[in-house]
Amino acid sequence: MSELISIGVAQIGVSSNPAVLRTILGSCIGICIYERNKKMGGLAHILLPNQLGKGIPEKYADTAIPLLVKQLLQQGCRKEFMSAKIAGGATMFRFQGSHSLGQIGERNISETKKILEQEGIPLLEEDTGGNVGRVIDFFLEDGRLKIKAAGEERIYYKV
Amino acid sequence: MHAHIKQRIESIISNLDQLPSIPDVASKVLTMATDPDVSFKQVAEEIAKDQAITTNILKLCNSAYFSKGKEITSIDRALVTLGLKEVKDVVVVAATKAILNKTIIGYDLAKGELWRHGLAVGILSKKIAQQKNRKDIADIVFTGGIIHDIGKTVLAIYVQNTYKDILDTVRKNGIPFQQAEKEIMGYDHQEIGERVLAKWKFPEVLKAIVQFHHQPDRAPGEFKPYTSIVHIANTICLMAGIGIGSDGLYHELNDAAITTIKLTDQDLETFYAEIPEMMHQAKELI
Repeated sequence: MSELISIGVAQIGVSSNPAVLRTILGSCIGICIYERNKKMGGLAHILLPNQLGKGIPEKYADTAIPLLVKQLLQQGCRKEFMSAKIAGGATMFRFQGSHSLGQIGERNISETKKILEQEGIPLLEEDTGGNVGRVIDFFLEDGRLKIKAAGEERIYYKV
Repeated sequence: MHAHIKQRIESIISNLDQLPSIPDVASKVLTMATDPDVSFKQVAEEIAKDQAITTNILKLCNSAYFSKGKEITSIDRALVTLGLKEVKDVVVVAATKAILNKTIIGYDLAKGELWRHGLAVGILSKKIAQQKNRKDIADIVFTGGIIHDIGKTVLAIYVQNTYKDILDTVRKNGIPFQQAEKEIMGYDHQEIGERVLAKWKFPEVLKAIVQFHHQPDRAPGEFKPYTSIVHIANTICLMAGIGIGSDGLYHELNDAAITTIKLTDQDLETFYAEIPEMMHQAKELI
């Protein structure tokens, strides 16, 4: 049996084969980084794009992604074997008016991509946007990502 | 419309035995709290009748979320230290957990997710009321937030049978999920929730919160601030993924609600950003 680890809002989890990292996403993004050589990986569940004021670094894309990479490197992972998959960033179905809250999903997606690029980690797959909630399972056995959304399941295998 | 499903739901809501029950003490304490002449002694005696819940209430009073620092060892002390409104909130938490803390098929909520969601919405509603000059209704929106989705526990099995049709209706007609529930099954989870609260003999304001949490501007005038706060808290918690199910974010954020509570864009974003700390503080209640 593989060990199922639940990652909450604004948390980072790092583990190795055969663990499975799970999180549930609305407008937040789940950033899954896999190191294919060591069969290790980590998941960061971010809430917002940028750290402007106070708050833990795990909450924001621009601080959580470097932190996740650092934690993997500390475990002996190497950057050249790392790749990323991301999910989430949904928006409310209907927004009357133009509240900035309505754009958080979009802002999270674009900042996440920007930071991954800065870190030099290739983004191989994304399952983002729309109005759906997502339950995601990141299998460290082979780096595959299973996504359950609106009654359907999809699996992404690229690593 | 699935006529046979509508009929089955009708037979459930017309037979009170088939709707969820709540310990008597919850309804009694909620009603007592609206009576200006009620004494602490009367409330303590009412709670003491239910020994199981009393033990649980004392434990909750000493949790990080409710505690005022001093250890509380009796209901009398709890009433003096925390006050009647706060003790009433503790009673609600103790009495509703068993009803909400289960797997909700159809809406695809794993065991515990609906409870976590209700709790998050209740706590955030209370926080919004406290910060936006409505301290006077903080205890009521807390209760309303916790139980706002109670109707989902009854409708779940029918949503499971009709989910594809509901989602098709959402996408084809561009309407929110709960509106599609009504088109396909004849009822939505708000109406069913209202019936459950009627069975429990809960006050009108709580019935209004449950019935209008997706359409806060349709509530009777005097209840609009209550429905608006819970509506906004619900939206923010769903966006943060807390208790998000198969209905996803196929919901609407109502402008009138934001105006009613006088929230700025910055307020909304701050409440959203503080969700992790808020959940951490309440972790003993989950």
